[in-house]
Amino acid sequence: MADDEPTTSRRTFLKFAGGTTAAAAVAGCAGGDQGGAQETTTGAETTTGAETTTAGNETTGSEETTSGGEASREALLQQANQLLHDQAPWVFLNRQYSVYGVSSNVEWTGRRDERIDGYAIQPQGDSSEVTITQSQMDSGLDPHDHRETPTDNIVLQAYEGVLARDAEGKVINQLATDYQRVEDGVVEFTLQDGVTFHEGGDLTAEDVAFSINRIVQEDVGGLASPQSDQLAGVTGAEAPDDSTVRVMSDGINPTVFAVFATYCDVMKRSWVEENDGAYINTHMNGTGPFRLANYQEGVEVVYERNEEYWGDPAPAQGLTIKSASESSTRVNQLLSGETDIAVNVPPQDVNRVRNADNASLTAVPSTRVLFNAMRYDVEPFSSQQFRQAMNLAIDLDSIIENVLQGFAAPTGQPTLEGFVGYNPDVNPYPQDVERAQQLVEESGHAGVSITLQTPVGRYLKDVEIAQAVANQINQLSNVNCELEQREFQALVGEITTGNIEDKPPFYLIGWGNATFDASQTIIPLVTTGGALTTFENEQVDQLMERAQSMGGEPNGN
Amino acid sequence: MLSPRSLRNLKRELSRSALAKTGIALVVLVVGVAALAPLVAPHDPTAQNLDDAQLPPLGFSETENSTTTEVVDGEVQIVNETTTINATAEHPLGTDSLGRDMLSRVVYGARTSLLVGVLGTFIAGGIGVTVGLVAGYYRGRVDDALMRSADVMLAFPSLVLAIALVGLWGRAAYRIPDPFVLLGITPDMPASFVLPGTVVVVVGLVNWVWFARVARGEALSIREQEYVKAARAVGASDARIIARHVLPNALTPILVLGTIQIAAIVLLESALSFLGFSGTTLSWGFDIAQGRDYLASAWWISTIPGVAIVLAVIGINLVGDWLRDALDPDIEGEGGGV
Amino acid sequence: MSLARFLLKRGLQGVFVVWGVVTVVFLLRFITPGDPISVIAPLDASPATRQAIAAELGLNRPLYVQYLDYLVGLLQGDMGYSYISNTSASARVFARLPATLELAVAATLVAVVLSIPLGVLSATNRNEPVDYGATTFSLVGISTPNFWLGIMLVLLFAVEFGVFKTSGRGITSARALSALATGNLDVFVSWLTYITLPAITLGTYFTALITRLTRSGMLDELGSAYVRATRAKGLPETLVRYRHALRNTLIPVVTVLGLQLGTLIGGAVITEAVFAWPGLGTLVINSITGRDWVVLQGSLIVIGVGFVLINLVVDALYAYLDPRVVSD
Repeated sequence: MADDEPTTSRRTFLKFAGGTTAAAAVAGCAGGDQGGAQETTTGAETTTGAETTTAGNETTGSEETTSGGEASREALLQQANQLLHDQAPWVFLNRQYSVYGVSSNVEWTGRRDERIDGYAIQPQGDSSEVTITQSQMDSGLDPHDHRETPTDNIVLQAYEGVLARDAEGKVINQLATDYQRVEDGVVEFTLQDGVTFHEGGDLTAEDVAFSINRIVQEDVGGLASPQSDQLAGVTGAEAPDDSTVRVMSDGINPTVFAVFATYCDVMKRSWVEENDGAYINTHMNGTGPFRLANYQEGVEVVYERNEEYWGDPAPAQGLTIKSASESSTRVNQLLSGETDIAVNVPPQDVNRVRNADNASLTAVPSTRVLFNAMRYDVEPFSSQQFRQAMNLAIDLDSIIENVLQGFAAPTGQPTLEGFVGYNPDVNPYPQDVERAQQLVEESGHAGVSITLQTPVGRYLKDVEIAQAVANQINQLSNVNCELEQREFQALVGEITTGNIEDKPPFYLIGWGNATFDASQTIIPLVTTGGALTTFENEQVDQLMERAQSMGGEPNGN
Repeated sequence: MLSPRSLRNLKRELSRSALAKTGIALVVLVVGVAALAPLVAPHDPTAQNLDDAQLPPLGFSETENSTTTEVVDGEVQIVNETTTINATAEHPLGTDSLGRDMLSRVVYGARTSLLVGVLGTFIAGGIGVTVGLVAGYYRGRVDDALMRSADVMLAFPSLVLAIALVGLWGRAAYRIPDPFVLLGITPDMPASFVLPGTVVVVVGLVNWVWFARVARGEALSIREQEYVKAARAVGASDARIIARHVLPNALTPILVLGTIQIAAIVLLESALSFLGFSGTTLSWGFDIAQGRDYLASAWWISTIPGVAIVLAVIGINLVGDWLRDALDPDIEGEGGGV
Repeated sequence: MSLARFLLKRGLQGVFVVWGVVTVVFLLRFITPGDPISVIAPLDASPATRQAIAAELGLNRPLYVQYLDYLVGLLQGDMGYSYISNTSASARVFARLPATLELAVAATLVAVVLSIPLGVLSATNRNEPVDYGATTFSLVGISTPNFWLGIMLVLLFAVEFGVFKTSGRGITSARALSALATGNLDVFVSWLTYITLPAITLGTYFTALITRLTRSGMLDELGSAYVRATRAKGLPETLVRYRHALRNTLIPVVTVLGLQLGTLIGGAVITEAVFAWPGLGTLVINSITGRDWVVLQGSLIVIGVGFVLINLVVDALYAYLDPRVVSD
């Protein structure tokens, strides 16, 4: 990877990453729920595909550690979280809450994974037309060619996977009636009968196998899908008969069902092969409860109910998804009856929604954590004392109370409460300016100037949180901290090249992980070789290796 | 550069026009505030105080419902608290969402607006006047080529071209040490001022056409004047004639246009900052954008910087009107707005 | 010179300007730091995609070949393929064009309908309250950033009173007008609730500017020897004012309008941003923040060509108002 020419070095990296996938899959074999469902919210931050190719990563490459566990997997993950709290690779910030405004014309409750399932929306009263306003529109309708939550919310009204998750995150059947492990690295799904695509034709095992291959194999389906790493470990699929899909993985791949519960939208093979990319990106032909009625790129997507849906028809007759990037605009739309669900109601507008007689609020803790990454390989962040000092410098409670008006929870470890591996004994860092200054002094970096980079408008109050953090660090007598605002796409471009050297030394970013498992946060972000890693520590690596080589549930849950 | 007659006209126009007086007063106020910002601002405009966030301006104390949350069974429960938020004399124009003093931000915002406005106008004027004088002086093909390229520039709306250029080039910013802080007069104020460098260059690049058109018109008529012909007859070089004879005699309309252009560029800068295409966060347009999310809960965050822009631009426009009425150059309709 | 020849000459100049616009836009790709592929390819593009893009654009070919290729493509209506949004740039740009035209026309209508009577009224009632009112309005109008005006209008009329819509376009004007024709008033009114605030926001600067120009033009004309002469001939004062003075006043007004078209389009960009109006302006901003340079290039070309075309219309109007320009 020591190639100076950018394009080539990237290619080299990919080759390298590809080579490690096998090892990753082997080592990840018994890793419970991991690997798979790093889900759409993950994609939202990382957007790009290539980087997370290593999500499994080479950390976990050695098989002999498989035997190495007296401690439970959960205990190992908890240890890792304790260690990471002490090592402080990040300035730990807040867990985001998803806050939705819901009009009195519909009944709906928010999901933890940020998806908005139109099928679950119950229209009340006369009208059965439902409108949703989110912050952005799609980046094209090809369900295999994106990694963003807004696009997911749009394509998933029409497309479905073999498995799905209920609102609590449990794995359930969707197009499959049954799934089972046949042998190490091979699983089979049995498909329902009588499922048809919107533009005609029955769902066949061949379509499902094709969809899987289109994601994981670069030369299938006219697309090198950025989602290939989301189906971590999966190498391909085939259809031994009309209703059976056989999925092959490298190694045991214990998380394969969890993966399919979150990813892999099923497309019709013949439809994909007969149409070009521009067509597939402006049309939808899925099996879902809604079919596309009108697509205005970048403006709105209109659906009508799929009357031939294999399940009960959706309660809503029509569905429209539009966008407004300004949060106040979304709230105005909700209150003036222009929309039924407003995504991400900002804290300052919470009471407008609650006090309105035509709308109410639903809020759930999301699976997304915000943090400031600090590159361990550059000064001053190479010093553990300095990194701890940064955590001690900030008043997280005040930020949550005043900037986010309580709509967030403080964190002190990479893993969120309620996840496998969350360590309940680890508390968020308290603010202690004296101690922080002392630690900076001890680190030998007194008087240093640092710059925090933040995306603008990507996360709830991102700039304001970053401004508060930079300001509080700046209050230390011996550190000078400035803020640089970045275009999200440009920042992400640097973070996701796969080279730690390309990343800014100090930046704010969010990470969503709907697998409810610590591994999908820790491995990609803070282990050696992780796709987006800014931190390497042998002890953490070893703990994660051991955890990932231990058994998971046979059904992926 | 201004003839005694012009000066007399300026004085006469000033004495009889209340609008001209108002304009000069506004401009003096804005320039004074910008120059003496560290002395005028009551607080560091970047200093946050989260406990004092969203304080209303004096006279607008209000009762507000704030919220806290707790998680019960995975659902976020919201707890209401009713509090009265009192305006304080410490923050006469209130505070923004991070508790920064609005008055101080407005004061420092004047610096950004004026500096970008004046520097951008100099860049635009430098390019435009050079192009215009050369085109008008040489006429013929040179004129055609230059003025057609000016037409091409005109076909791109300046705002559109400006955001495209800032988007392509990035948002470079330069820190200029603040003399008041450097000399220890106001040690609590920001030590340096952030000049959005890319924006300065870009607003100059997209606005030169107006100067070119005016300068060309002047050069076309001046080149036929006897003194130019005389200079040419004694063998003076073209460059010398343009610099010594054409330019000085074309200055009046350029001066008037330059004044109007400052107003246009102040508006353009605010639009760029509003859209997030700037290198500084201490700008009126930026604060308006920040306040958009708080329109329903803290209307003043967007409103106050907007009033500041309007007053500053009115002042500059009134001064421009005064110059135009007194000096009477023919430049109707040149210069853009946002 | 006949009118036809005059317009032909202007048309040829327009073609030249369009060529210049296209050339500048083509070159934009090269003024950015980094290699051209990084400008066009998605950030996460695989090496294969990058190679495909490089091959398709022929980035290894000499510049002039690429340039000619681009020109030929444009002549066929092909603005290139956006690898970021996976669509052809032309499709995206032309899908957005009607909304912007609609907004610009509405704003121009607002401006012309309000400003010319106001300017005339102001001039014929000089130094009376109506004149002071009009002068103050036009001064404030040309000094107010329209994005801020838009936000204030939203604050007042949408947030406080809930009268108008805060964002979006609703239905197209064509549908709204046909609803009006068939007597379906509800639909038409609903359309009005969408377009009113954006049209006022965009139109205010021009209303103010034209009011100002009309006022000063009328004052000049009413004091001119020509008007005094017609008045002396015993023509009714209304005829003098509206037939002669106003017609002459409109000439500089039309000139300025032509010159300020860029401001109108630039204003539309930011007005669209405030009201989430799905036009070219939001497309331009989104394509810059999304690094979608192919779409940006397409938008710039359409804006430039639109500018040239509308200027031709202005020229024709100008020639009609003041036949002297044709023989100029």
